[in-house]
Amino acid sequence: MQMAKWMRPLGAAALTLMFAQAGAAQETLKLGISAPMSGAAATWGLGMEWAAEQAAERVNEEGGVTAGGKTYMFEIVAFDNKYSATEGARNAQTMLNRDGINFIAGSIGTAPVRAMQALTERKGVILFNTAWGKSVKGPKYPNTFTQMNTPFEILSPFYNFIKEEHPDVKTVALISPNDATGQELEPVAVETWKGLGVEALASDWYERGTTEFQPIATKIASLNPDIVDFSAAPPTDAGSILKELEVLGWDGVMVMSAGTSVDSLTSVAGDAAEGAYLGASADFSGETATEVQKELNAGAREALGEPLNGITISAYDAIMALRAAIQKADSVDPAKVKDVLSSVRFESSYGPSGFGGEATYDYPQQMLIPVIVTQVQNGKAVELTRSNPAELDALLNE
Amino acid sequence: MELFVQLLANTLQIGAVYVLFALGLTLIFGVMKIVNFAHGAFFTAAALIVTSVVPFATVEMGMPLWAGYLLSAVAALVVVLCLGALVYKVGFQHVLKDLNGSFILSIGLLLILNGVYLAIYGGAPRAVPQVVPGTVNILGATLTAQRLALVIVAAIVTGGLYLLIERTKLGLALRAVALDQEAAMLQGMPYRRVALYGFLIGAALAACAGVLMAPINAVTPVSGDEFLIKAFIIIIIGGLGSVTGAIVGGLFIAMIESIGGYFFDPSTATLAMFILVIGFLLVRPQGILGNVE
Repeated sequence: MQMAKWMRPLGAAALTLMFAQAGAAQETLKLGISAPMSGAAATWGLGMEWAAEQAAERVNEEGGVTAGGKTYMFEIVAFDNKYSATEGARNAQTMLNRDGINFIAGSIGTAPVRAMQALTERKGVILFNTAWGKSVKGPKYPNTFTQMNTPFEILSPFYNFIKEEHPDVKTVALISPNDATGQELEPVAVETWKGLGVEALASDWYERGTTEFQPIATKIASLNPDIVDFSAAPPTDAGSILKELEVLGWDGVMVMSAGTSVDSLTSVAGDAAEGAYLGASADFSGETATEVQKELNAGAREALGEPLNGITISAYDAIMALRAAIQKADSVDPAKVKDVLSSVRFESSYGPSGFGGEATYDYPQQMLIPVIVTQVQNGKAVELTRSNPAELDALLNE
Repeated sequence: MELFVQLLANTLQIGAVYVLFALGLTLIFGVMKIVNFAHGAFFTAAALIVTSVVPFATVEMGMPLWAGYLLSAVAALVVVLCLGALVYKVGFQHVLKDLNGSFILSIGLLLILNGVYLAIYGGAPRAVPQVVPGTVNILGATLTAQRLALVIVAAIVTGGLYLLIERTKLGLALRAVALDQEAAMLQGMPYRRVALYGFLIGAALAACAGVLMAPINAVTPVSGDEFLIKAFIIIIIGGLGSVTGAIVGGLFIAMIESIGGYFFDPSTATLAMFILVIGFLLVRPQGILGNVE
């Protein structure tokens, strides 16, 4: 009985301590993802979510991120934006207003990103994105950061390489999805080809969700261009067109600036995709890949059935940048994190990285990573060449 | 000449699936006087089942591809008919001849079924290998043997449906109910049972379209939605409730897609379809072969 007398307060104190401890350990920082998890571009969203979870797991295993005397564990909250502005806006409302998220670690699609920006910029929420449109960048959008290379980084080295490999090519036909991503990429692509002496015979548009591509394939085959540039078309759509082009006997140079998922491409196109050049893919299992990339890539193959690419792995890099920025700012206040992000140095999956692009966008919000050109060979993405932006080289030499 | 034949071949390839899909939708409208926005979900269910049964049958059971595909077709048809019977009993039989009620019910059903498909299959596109390999050349037009098979099977199914409606007792009942439900009931026709048969035939047609499309296009949990929009355009242009109208409308829309996509681009062709349907609604709301009600 005597024992029971002091056991109760002791037990209560122990419980209080336990809960207090648990409370301290469970300080969670939610990171949002808004990406297509269904439809032709689902492979990007699912891969991005997976890569984000791996990054969060790594950060958490390493003790989380410490700021202002507190330790935070990352938690990923992912939403399907269906590659549409409507869903992008809805996701932003849910993440910011319902879940109180202050950091979005990955978002895909110019239209949904633009829709999200209306809210994220007003509320000062950090928005990492892979949008290819230039319109989402600039000093007007100081909270927006791009986590992968976009046409302004990719197209010039990518097209130059293709022109060097195929010096005789003179004509190109472009086919682009009729949305903000396609509309912002197409003029840059046409202009870049023109600069290389390649004439655009046609530049056509299709709606995302289109299932029948024979008419456009018939048109392209009859024009018989040296190159078909699939612009911002996701791999499944590009694969469908390639399959039709093969049936019609077209046999030229296949260029996919947004070419990422080789498995998705070949599952639809089969052998018709053989030899296609991809601007946003990478061989993360090859010699040039870092150990982190090899490990992530092997995990993705097991979990998702296909390797990572430039879009999907970007969530990992964004989270590493966020960790470094939160630690440097010593705060989880997004305004303070934003102020240090432009100058922060962090270890991306590619190696040391930072942010740049001020000369192009008037604001340093572009993540600095190598431009990698790959080609589909025997159903796999094989790296042909890579080049660093000048700012990344300067950063590596610091 | 070659180009003309190629565009014609494209029209037939595209139109074959549109016709099958739209026939089911128009049949359901004709008999039950309802709009079924969940019709695409039957198409999607069938296509998804093919994408899962074919690999299982060929890899796990060691069946040849054609046998695996036939097995998947039977499985898809059975599942879609069961699903159709379930949603009819639970929902649609309570909203017969109720446009507003069926609209709300079918939209809700579509959202539920899309969510279920997404949960089961995930969002990533799924592909099935071509069952009929190779290409064929007809008068200079090139098309895959798979697509040619699709056109032939779709033509046989359409012909079979036409015979069923024109030459059988069930077809007579379906036509009678579509023309005047009360008069048909006064003649002793069991309206609810006829409506159920009409609904199941419509669902089976959507399943056929899904099974035929699976080896040609990548399949996702929302594949049917794109076809649904086109099917509504087709039956408005062809005439709501008209079987012949669905065939004419399907081929007409496929022709716009084929020729418009060639001379302009797919986006312009899609825009043209919507402008056309607005024009029909303003000038001839009953469609090409429909009746004014």
